Amino acid sequence: MIWLTWRQHRTQGLYTLLGLAALAAFIVPTGLAMRRDLDRLVGQRCATGGELCDRGMNEFIDTYSPLLHVAILLLAVPLLFGLFWGAPLVAREIEQGTHRMIWTQGISRRHWAWTKAGLLGGAVAVLAAGYGWGISWWYEPLQIRESRFTEVFFDVQGVVPVGYTLFAVALGLYAGTVLPKVMSAMAVTLPAYIAARLAVGMYARPRFMAPLNRSLAIDDHIEGMTGAWLMSTEVRQADGTRVTGGMMVCRPEGDGGLCAAAREMGLRPGAYNYQVYQPEGRFWTFQWIETGIFVAAAALLVWLAIRRVRRVA
Amino acid sequence: MRGHEMEHVLEADGLGKRYGARWALRDCTLRLPAGRVAALVGPNGSGKSTLLHLAVGLLRPDAGAVRVFGNTPYENTAALADIGFVAQDTPLYRDFTANDLVTMAGKVNRRWDATLARTRLAQAGIPPRIPVGKLSGGQRAQVALALALAKRPRLLLLDEPVASLDPVARREFLRTLMGGVAESGTTVLLSSHILADLEHSCDHLVVLSSGAVQLSGAVDDIVGEHRRLVGPRHHGEPIGGVAAVVRARHTDRQSTLLVRATGRVTDPSWTVHELTLEDLILAYLSDGVTEATHEAWGVAA
Amino acid sequence: MIEFVLDGRSKVNTYVQLVQQVKQALRVGLLVPGDRLPKVRDVAQSLAINPNTVLKAYRELELEGLAEGRPGVGTFVTGTLAGDSLANQADLRAELLEWLRRAQAAGLSDEDVTALVDTTIRAARQADALLEELA
Repeated sequence: MIWLTWRQHRTQGLYTLLGLAALAAFIVPTGLAMRRDLDRLVGQRCATGGELCDRGMNEFIDTYSPLLHVAILLLAVPLLFGLFWGAPLVAREIEQGTHRMIWTQGISRRHWAWTKAGLLGGAVAVLAAGYGWGISWWYEPLQIRESRFTEVFFDVQGVVPVGYTLFAVALGLYAGTVLPKVMSAMAVTLPAYIAARLAVGMYARPRFMAPLNRSLAIDDHIEGMTGAWLMSTEVRQADGTRVTGGMMVCRPEGDGGLCAAAREMGLRPGAYNYQVYQPEGRFWTFQWIETGIFVAAAALLVWLAIRRVRRVA
Repeated sequence: MRGHEMEHVLEADGLGKRYGARWALRDCTLRLPAGRVAALVGPNGSGKSTLLHLAVGLLRPDAGAVRVFGNTPYENTAALADIGFVAQDTPLYRDFTANDLVTMAGKVNRRWDATLARTRLAQAGIPPRIPVGKLSGGQRAQVALALALAKRPRLLLLDEPVASLDPVARREFLRTLMGGVAESGTTVLLSSHILADLEHSCDHLVVLSSGAVQLSGAVDDIVGEHRRLVGPRHHGEPIGGVAAVVRARHTDRQSTLLVRATGRVTDPSWTVHELTLEDLILAYLSDGVTEATHEAWGVAA
Repeated sequence: MIEFVLDGRSKVNTYVQLVQQVKQALRVGLLVPGDRLPKVRDVAQSLAINPNTVLKAYRELELEGLAEGRPGVGTFVTGTLAGDSLANQADLRAELLEWLRRAQAAGLSDEDVTALVDTTIRAARQADALLEELA
């Protein structure tokens, strides 16, 4: 069974490794370049602060911001595993009729299904772990521009890609047992995966732990929170009513009153910035909780899929 | 005959399988004695594949039971060791070479004779290191048969193995099959709707139509029992020596009857003809539908 | 070793055809006692017929005393149908050759000759059958 799994999937494994190698061929040089430039433009200059530091940071951010778009593309990687590793697993066997050959040899369907799911799931988990670790390494310098805890960037690094990938593969596997045609299984896996990810990312993740909040006076220099997840930021009147989203950053007048821009917006004295956030220290906790959710969902889907396999003609 | 004990290799009792509201196989009862080469004939959609899938444990019965060597084949890997099966269109992993398939079969089967597999593949002229998807249909059928035979099964089930093959490939397949049967004494149940091939190779017959068994038994017995009678217009009166009238065709003055006889038909008004196996099977499979259809089209029958 | 053939259009049972072919071979001396008949497996494979059919034919030959099966070795010819008929055959052949020349001279083609032989055999058989019934 081990030999069979290897022989059946070695081509797709090869293509996957080639794809990951191509990704690495992009990630590694850019990651090294970013580190070099970060050290040159920011690290050495900002020990003392000052204008040189600010200019260095701006130059670094201008140069490397476009890479953030690449990070968005990386969201698709777990889904690709689901479509090309998960969906065909059972669906192709049934679509091509080979299930009538392999299930009438000498092994039970259950043994076949569990061995395949286990071996491929293990391989996928290892690949995803490596991939997650690689992206984490690559992303580090970019934290200066966008916290890794922020939506989307949280999703492409660390340990959550393992959860997403296992979930996508399990979803494809289950879809293949319900719709025993590869194309149909893929067509169902795509929206289902997106829906699940959006549901967890938008509704569950903000509630994993009660967020913190802080109020900041309106000034021309607001202290940022590196590595935290800024969930919302707004400007409030002294009594707490929301005026607008965003942040008000301006130097107060000499007498302590609000600057002209603030007054133009209708802000009265005592107005402040209000931010809701998850602190940086909770990053890994959130990573593990979200991974756990998707791994549990994956396990459930695999169990359901194998139950269906036993009843398929 | 080989197999002096009338051991029944395959037993079905009231076996039925339903898909939604439609019964693909209904009330199927049959016994297959050991050592026979049995033909399972019937038109498309008559339930042949369903019966074979039930016998090999791919399907679970909705009614009745099926037993192979006394065991239920469904979810029974021990029973599978004694059964060799080739599904319709001989499904194989197309990117595997013949060599790969032999290796695979060795790993997933308890009883496996790799030498026999390789010998048969060599005899059939199958190249070992070419993906089987690139072989001809006839060669793929030979590969599937070699894999099934190398399991050393006691029962071999074949679902229309030669249906999509050219005549040369068909003949080659049947030769290999007969050679394999001669060597191992395995019982064979093979479904087909190409009747001409079956006459010389099969000694047992099961006729299926619309999901029900129409006829089953040893070929010699069946051919010996049935006769075609031609004589004056018949209106249902009993005829001496005739147990049952299976099919009847009438003109205004003449009747042609297909009958199952218990003895000799001595009534001189009837001319008695023997039948070939093919004639018999066709007679059992034909329906009396054509007259109704003519009416529906509004043309004279 | 003889090789069997199958007449697909013949109404005669397969195993009967095999028996007849062995007997014919014995008559013309192609098979003599001690010769081994082809293995069941080889006949089944080359003709694509049920091995039981071959076994049936060999058993029939055993019953008629013409062959003997030795387990593990094969089936061997033991009886003979040739003998005095071989001598007769030489005479009959000579007579037949002369008759054929006369038929050709009379203008008969090969098909006419075969048709004449067939109808005469049938007529002779019918006459014999009639005589038997009356007797």
